[in-house]
Amino acid sequence: MLSIKNLTASINGTPVLKGIDLEIKAGEIHAIMGPNGSGKSTLGKVLAGHPSYEVTGGEALFEGRDLFTLAADERARAGIFMGFQHPIEVPGVSNASFLRLAYNKKAEAEGRDELDPLEFDDFIHEKIKLVAMREEFLDRSLNEGFSGGEKKRNEILQMAVLEPKLAILDELDSGLDIDALRVLGDAVNRLQRADRALLIITHFPRILETIQPDYVHVLSGGRILKSAGKELALELEDRGYDWVLAESAAGGAR
Amino acid sequence: MTSMVAGSSLLVELLSGPRPAEWDSLREAAEARLEGRDLPTTQAEDWKYTDLKALAALTFGPAPEGTIDLAPLLLSEMVGTRQVFVNGHHAPHASCASAVPAGVRFLPMSTASEACHALGSVKNGATPELFEDLNSARFQDGAVILVPKHLKVALPLHLLFVTRTDTPCAVFPRLLVVLEAGAELELVEEHHGQGTYLSCPVVEIRLAEGAILRHERVQRESPEAFHIGTLKAEVGRNAQYHSRTLSFGARFSRQHPWVHLAEGAEGTLDGLALLEGTQVADTHSFMHHAEPNAASHQLHKCIVDGRARAIFNGQVRVAPGAQGTDAKQQSRNLLLSEAARVDTKPQLEIYADDVKCSHGATVGQLDPEELFYLQSRGLDADDARNLLTYGFAADVLQRIPVASLRRALRRLVMARTQAGSLGDLA
Repeated sequence: MLSIKNLTASINGTPVLKGIDLEIKAGEIHAIMGPNGSGKSTLGKVLAGHPSYEVTGGEALFEGRDLFTLAADERARAGIFMGFQHPIEVPGVSNASFLRLAYNKKAEAEGRDELDPLEFDDFIHEKIKLVAMREEFLDRSLNEGFSGGEKKRNEILQMAVLEPKLAILDELDSGLDIDALRVLGDAVNRLQRADRALLIITHFPRILETIQPDYVHVLSGGRILKSAGKELALELEDRGYDWVLAESAAGGAR
Repeated sequence: MTSMVAGSSLLVELLSGPRPAEWDSLREAAEARLEGRDLPTTQAEDWKYTDLKALAALTFGPAPEGTIDLAPLLLSEMVGTRQVFVNGHHAPHASCASAVPAGVRFLPMSTASEACHALGSVKNGATPELFEDLNSARFQDGAVILVPKHLKVALPLHLLFVTRTDTPCAVFPRLLVVLEAGAELELVEEHHGQGTYLSCPVVEIRLAEGAILRHERVQRESPEAFHIGTLKAEVGRNAQYHSRTLSFGARFSRQHPWVHLAEGAEGTLDGLALLEGTQVADTHSFMHHAEPNAASHQLHKCIVDGRARAIFNGQVRVAPGAQGTDAKQQSRNLLLSEAARVDTKPQLEIYADDVKCSHGATVGQLDPEELFYLQSRGLDADDARNLLTYGFAADVLQRIPVASLRRALRRLVMARTQAGSLGDLA
């Protein structure tokens, strides 16, 4: 589904990604872990099309299409979703009408029927059960005055509405208490399908107890230092990141 | 009038109109102050950014009389009781048959005697601005509105001032709004028109103890119009005055609100201006915390496109002894083009020590992070920009308590921010 080769990117002339190789197939769950400042959030933003980052080399093919020829909205309509670490607030635009707008933009791009407000009402009421969101949050302005946890809940709701092929979840666990983390982790698991891939970006291994990854990659200094199965997450929980960095430095010296 | 200095021919013209017999002492005092005065120039600090040359270049005649087809001018969906003023005069035939909410005394200014003025003339101690004096000298009509003790009026009262003219004219609407103790009213004051004219309203408000007035002010003057308004509100003990001024029209508009807060009172002066082309919108506000424990709130937002210009000067004065004051002021400005311009200046004078005063001013463009968020949800760049621009304005609109007006203005703003194609966003 997504094939990244030797990807390098920079922001304001400063290199942040220094050669990323990553292969993600449909049905897989990948976790990108790493210390703060390692470049893991940058990877998510570069894939989603953030305009502040400049891709300086390498390639990323999404279902065979060159991702970097597409604007952020084109990538979204092609099936890439990013759950933000810090979702923005838009006053005066209700959550429900924004969700419907986003849904219909994608439906239009895929040649499906758009939903009118009544149809969408039925549709969204099924979806909010998945993330245990209270109905009143549909009528409130998009993310305005939402707590950190409520914003994350809303991100997963958007994912459920938009049904992406590839979902990139950036620090889903930040700002969540343990119960909310379990609810959203379960929701993401239930959304996972054979034709969908997940890229979980996280600093803490805790979320990976609920959303169990097939692959764990440790990113540091803009490079993937180590890739393994989900057991790597457990090992990082016990031992932190330093040993991976040390191992990699030793390997590099060899 | 011949004693006026060169360049003041405009004042001569404006004062040459009929002078109604009533309100004599008010008019005389104003005329005495106008004697020898001239239009302010950009040399005056308060008018530094707002050049009145274009106004001075016009030749004003009397406002035409006659009827007007209101239908195309009305904001749809507005319910409530509408009183209409056409070219400065109360038009009973165009007003709602259901007249005025029960219990409210509504008197066209032209039929109100000078004794009414004692009800509520608001004196702020300062010398009135020239345009306030012009209104005092020559106002012909308007309304006196009195809400008796403890009456809580359910329906909003909508005052619509329409000016329609083929040759430049000036109108001087005058409002006096008095709420007795514990009374409550929602007042919508709307200005609209076609053609070239000067609209120069003066609104005086007196709120007795515990009274609550919500005042929505909609300025949709013609694109060729000049609108220079004065508002003076005296807010009594534990009373509340909440206003929002929404400026959409006029080539040049200036708002001059002055709010005086007694002990425990609350005052809100929110504003939204949507400007394009070469429009100029200027707000010079004065929030006076005269006594302890009053709270004030000002959120002033401008969206400025084209070569338009917004000016905000927000003065807050906390008098000696006004302890426990809580004053918030924010000026937020969104520039949509390179040539758009905003000048914003908070002015705090604080003479008490136990107070909370905050102010902030921002001038900027749409946040790229916010645009990215919306694009990542599949909205193209234009839709994302329009949605955020609309949201910037909606922040003020959603505070409007009159649901029908809120809906109508949302639609108006959606059209102006090109967010109309995004469907119903409410």
